[in-house]
Amino acid sequence: MGLLRRTIAEVETFVHRLDPRTKFFFFLWISAFAYLFCDYGVTAILLAACLALAAYARVLRPIGLTILIIVLPWIAVDVFVLGLGPFGFPWNETEIFRFNIFGYEVPVYYEGVVWGVTWPLRIGVCISSAMLFFLTTNQARLVSLLVKLRLPYRYIYMVIATLQMIPMLVDEANVIYQAQVSRGLRTDVSLLKRAMHYFALMVPLTLSTLYKVQVRAIALESRGFSAPVKKTILYRTTFATEDYIFFAAMAVATAILLYVYFTYGFSPIAKMRFYIIAG
Amino acid sequence: MSEYVIEVENLSYSYPRKANVLRNISFKVKKGEVLGIIGPNGAGKSTLCKALNGLVPHFYGGRFSGRVVVAGMNTLEHTVAELATKVGLVFQDPEEQLSGVALTVYEEVAFGLSMLGFPKEEIDVRVKEAIKKVGLEGLEWRAPFELSGGQTQRLAIATVLALKPEVLVLDEPTAQLDPIGKFEVFSVIKKLAEEGSTIVVVEHEIEELATFADNIMLLNEGRVVAYGPARKVLGMVEELKKCGVNPPSVTELTYLLKKEVGVDLEVPITLEEAIKIYGEALGVM
Repeated sequence: MGLLRRTIAEVETFVHRLDPRTKFFFFLWISAFAYLFCDYGVTAILLAACLALAAYARVLRPIGLTILIIVLPWIAVDVFVLGLGPFGFPWNETEIFRFNIFGYEVPVYYEGVVWGVTWPLRIGVCISSAMLFFLTTNQARLVSLLVKLRLPYRYIYMVIATLQMIPMLVDEANVIYQAQVSRGLRTDVSLLKRAMHYFALMVPLTLSTLYKVQVRAIALESRGFSAPVKKTILYRTTFATEDYIFFAAMAVATAILLYVYFTYGFSPIAKMRFYIIAG
Repeated sequence: MSEYVIEVENLSYSYPRKANVLRNISFKVKKGEVLGIIGPNGAGKSTLCKALNGLVPHFYGGRFSGRVVVAGMNTLEHTVAELATKVGLVFQDPEEQLSGVALTVYEEVAFGLSMLGFPKEEIDVRVKEAIKKVGLEGLEWRAPFELSGGQTQRLAIATVLALKPEVLVLDEPTAQLDPIGKFEVFSVIKKLAEEGSTIVVVEHEIEELATFADNIMLLNEGRVVAYGPARKVLGMVEELKKCGVNPPSVTELTYLLKKEVGVDLEVPITLEEAIKIYGEALGVM
């Protein structure tokens, strides 16, 4: 149960072996470039790079699914809202084509379409690189990283435990739902009523969660969690050859991207006159 | 230094919203002794366990009176974290006591030690020792959630054994396990008892408890109803029944044979003893 359980413990690839700092830096680096360029072509290439790494690390399924659920519908809505008509997007000026709907001629603008595609892709880059970091980083190493970032241990535990509690809560909600169905909760009702049923889960789920949190707190306290001593971190984060290779690849990619940026001016400040890929 | 590892004097306790959970309890446990605590639900058994490692009253609050001294430390004067190396508490549900941040058995066992700031080298030695003691060798790099119920409870025991506590307190450690899981956990407890560990164990499996407990305490409604050598307490069939606790079957059979038929035999508390006593009575041994 839970994303962590299906991934980190079961596979060991080059991506998994990378130091968490390397992967965290990759997340920041690729997200920065996704926002530096306002170009769907470049952003799509960055997203493809993240997905390729995800595929190599065997975590493409959860990441790909998340991207499909978030990015594609967002693009569909954005393109519709921003690309149609002269008022959908403030910088709409280049008409690509027109189509007729109910006797009205509706223009489709290049700037709105591009903006509508690029923004969700940027978010896709951020999400996929963040998930790649999270799904391929052993929690003990993640703890080690957070300690290095000088985060108090109480907060570090809060971050890690929250990530683990989510799948546990989903399981708990399923158990409570099944118990309520067994006691006569009807499932052959409208979607709205079924949604209301989920509200009925909230009270038992909240109570059971509070109980579990208390038991967990007791267990942690019994194992010296709040002892006023310097905690021992089992894993020291150290850069290996693989990390240096990865950094070198990022440096090469940075040089190429900066060359493209300064040569073609792929900047949002240039207000859309730089879209050479779309012509 | 006192010969007793645990000294409880006139302990009374009320939770903030539940009064008189423990009433005037006193007992002492020697080093290497196994004390079994039995009683119906709501008797105060778990609360007594939590009083031994300071969770009561430090964590729960409430009204506390009396004195609990474990390994020379008055629980009122020390934090739960300080008491963690003196008293290891194992809970009923094996999954609820895991840290939630460890991805392997090794990391889970090491968690408490790292929280207490032990050096890495010592953590490694202690973790390996604890894993060996509970028979989980070979599963060090397995994820805790992949273990069976019995294995998870043994892992929970290992997590406290790694801290090398002077007292091991087990609160119904087999309550949520299947027969195989119960067998695995009892095997570990018996082994620890044979090795001379000081153990306080709350258990409903009276017949198993009878095989390794030195002393037994019968609690009911927060009071000590009976306390003494296991044979003596488990032989108090009427008192046990009144409290809703079933004595070992062989003990009850012998008691009923005397009461109903007038056959006066020595009272066994384990199956092995019963076979011997009945065998001799029947002239086949």
